[in-house]
Amino acid sequence: MKALSRKTSRAAARSNNAARTEFLTFSLAGDEYAARIAVVAEIVRSPPITEVPRAPRCVLGVASVRGRLVTVIDGRRRLGLPEAAPGARSRILLVDTGGGEFVGVMVDAVLQVLRLSALEIEPASVLGGDQPAHVVGIGRPEGASGESTAMRASAASAIIVIVDLMNLVQAVA
Amino acid sequence: MSDYGSSLDKAREDFFAEAQELIDGLGRDVLALDARLKQNAPAHELINDVFRGVHTLKGLTGLFGATLMLSVSHELEDVLDDLRLGRLALSPEVLDIVFGAVELYGKLLIAERGQAPEPTGEVRALLNALGNAGVQGADARASPIARYELDPALLGVLTEYEEHRLRAAIESGAHLFKLRVTFSLMSIDTALEDLKQRARTYGEIITYLPSASATSGDDIELEVILASPDSAVTVADALADLSVAVEEIARAQPLPAPPRMGSRLSPTSSLLPPFADLVAPQGIDAPRDSLGPPSLALGASLRSVSQTVRVDIRKLDNLMNIVGELAIVRTSLLEVVERLRLRAGQREIATDLQRLHRAFERHLAKMQGGILEVRMVPLGQAFEKLARIVRQLSREHDKEVNLVVTGAETEIDKLIVEELSDPLMHMIRNSIDHAIESPHERARVGKPAAGTIVVNAYQKGNQVVIEVEDDGRGIDEDRVVASALRLGMITHDEARDLPRRDILSLLFRPGLTTRDAAGDTSGRGVGMDVVKTNIAKLGGIIDVSGESGIGTKITITMPITLAIIRVLMVSVAGRIYAVPLPAIEEAIAFDERLVRAYDGREVLTQRGATLPICRLRKLFGHDAAPALPTEPRGRAGFVVIASVGGRRAGFVVDKLLAHQDIVIKSLGKTLRGVRGFAGAAELGDQRVGLVVDMAQLIDDALDYSGVHHQPAGALS
Repeated sequence: MKALSRKTSRAAARSNNAARTEFLTFSLAGDEYAARIAVVAEIVRSPPITEVPRAPRCVLGVASVRGRLVTVIDGRRRLGLPEAAPGARSRILLVDTGGGEFVGVMVDAVLQVLRLSALEIEPASVLGGDQPAHVVGIGRPEGASGESTAMRASAASAIIVIVDLMNLVQAVA
Repeated sequence: MSDYGSSLDKAREDFFAEAQELIDGLGRDVLALDARLKQNAPAHELINDVFRGVHTLKGLTGLFGATLMLSVSHELEDVLDDLRLGRLALSPEVLDIVFGAVELYGKLLIAERGQAPEPTGEVRALLNALGNAGVQGADARASPIARYELDPALLGVLTEYEEHRLRAAIESGAHLFKLRVTFSLMSIDTALEDLKQRARTYGEIITYLPSASATSGDDIELEVILASPDSAVTVADALADLSVAVEEIARAQPLPAPPRMGSRLSPTSSLLPPFADLVAPQGIDAPRDSLGPPSLALGASLRSVSQTVRVDIRKLDNLMNIVGELAIVRTSLLEVVERLRLRAGQREIATDLQRLHRAFERHLAKMQGGILEVRMVPLGQAFEKLARIVRQLSREHDKEVNLVVTGAETEIDKLIVEELSDPLMHMIRNSIDHAIESPHERARVGKPAAGTIVVNAYQKGNQVVIEVEDDGRGIDEDRVVASALRLGMITHDEARDLPRRDILSLLFRPGLTTRDAAGDTSGRGVGMDVVKTNIAKLGGIIDVSGESGIGTKITITMPITLAIIRVLMVSVAGRIYAVPLPAIEEAIAFDERLVRAYDGREVLTQRGATLPICRLRKLFGHDAAPALPTEPRGRAGFVVIASVGGRRAGFVVDKLLAHQDIVIKSLGKTLRGVRGFAGAAELGDQRVGLVVDMAQLIDDALDYSGVHHQPAGALS
């Protein structure tokens, strides 16, 4: 009978529209981005990175994260943002791409974990027709309903680009 | 992510399909059961089938979290178990409940798919019915088995189900027979099945066991207990052509009372040889262990199966990574030790720590060795296929060929064994196709009619040597040279005084063949160059020797494992690269003044021969990058001369650092398109060094057009 109660609660959750997805937000060149937290296997400080000659431009190189060889991609270069050397707050988001292989994305800083409901996510198409495949939506935390109070005004104005990290690391040309 | 989701969906679909199949099967069996019940016919096998079906379904539903189905299965299984063990009589009422359960399964499966609400009320009703149908408490009847003179050792190993069948047979008035039959170990499975089929018409086989009598090593004698309503003569006649000895088991005298079957789990030790007690003082295996040599052999083979585990090689790679991590921890630990040692008053702790560190290091090395050992498999795995190929090809070519394999037990990394199969096959094909003469021709030159190919393997230090030697016509050097000339590989001038070694190495050049017409199996000009490239990829080297008319010998030298390779560390513009040693011919000092430019390429003259050179600094684009602080000012440098598959090139590097054994890791999908690297390895100080792929780099160096592989602006 356990299955029954589980099902009812799931149905209740759906009708409430309270189903929220957890996103990890990070910054790149001053903008805020978000990615589904389930995709991020680990967040690590950058170990020494060895450049790989003749690799695609957005690849910073390879590094060893506790004995595991990881390809590190520069988030800025990958998204076509102005380049900058990694700083003290830089982190690498490790993504498990399957088959035991991990790819890291270097970001300027990791900001927070955000829980967004479906109503707080706009489709990528609102940005205009041709969005790259890794942009999956726009997050508008707490501002979606338009009833945001003055206190929340700053939050309401924030636009967070939701990216598909898996696509980001797999479609490296 | 979506991939993961869809694979889950697929697994669920598979579950529904399998469960539906099982339920359909149950439905059929229960109907048949009903028919048997109406005819008053024996139904124990059917009950057993239903029991097994429900048991499988239980496992399946548990796996997929179908909780309602699981609880139904659980209760149903209990009732069926009671039925099959005779604790519960099969009645129309009980069968009704079983019918109801099978029907409910169908509904539950539909509900599980979300296509209907869950029939919770019906489930509750059925669970109640099943609960009431089951029996509580053990069967208290006195055992009829005691009425027979059965070997206690035999009774001791009967399963509960076999015991029940034995009891049921006795109660139905059947006679018990002991059959002795000898099977060859090779064919025991089929022969036993045959016997079972034959015996089924006369009675029921209760159990069979290896007998205690000694038999020869390849045979095994089984004792089979058969219950049959027929007489001993009938049974013996029926099985006469299977050379089965039939013996009726006599009814026991009233006294002394044989051990009750309830004593199954505590061995009847007084009746067993003491040896069995020592080996297994408890448990049902004891009597089996006490049996003679043939059954011991059987037991040993069973045991070896259970002591072997199959492991995904990636898991071993993972373990290797962990060892790598530990090695890094060890390095850090050593630093702490050194720091402590410098502090006054802490020298004692430093010494203790140093000692612990040394022990840690030693065990770590052992662990690494242990993991490598697990990856090792005998080369015989690759050799087995060769025998089949020899047989097939020699028939096709009307040649007689003997294959002699020695050293098949030599162990090598699992991954290498798999990659070795194809090259070895090519070599054997070449031998049969080109080298070994027809019996007629062999007779003419005074050789035995059958040609011989000897495959010999042995370990030599950290390498494994595999020799493939045939006694065929050898390599006709003139034809090799002629062919090379025709293909423009060499000039007439070169051909005139080409050393022998170089002639043979021509065999590994792409396109070269000494055959006029392409044969079915080889001779199309792909062959030895492919072999050499494949071997080189694995870090191995290949060498040909032989005498024209007498035979050919090809020697392959492979590293024992791919996981650890020996490299030369070099530095280029402050970056460290590892060059696998097998690809390196030699390293010489680089003298800028000897470089000649020709058509945008640079060449060196080395010992009278022209050597194309490639500056890794340029190829890797390090000239364009800002200089690292560690970069040396004055550049003299070295030339690492490498050759793979007959292609040679020199690579200019800044410094030669050291020889080192490294654990190589693959670069992964993202960097798959990047040419020139075989992988990467940890250098010990948390940094990673790239391992170059010399075969690709040589290609790059030779095709080098000056712009091709360059980042913009790298060339001046």
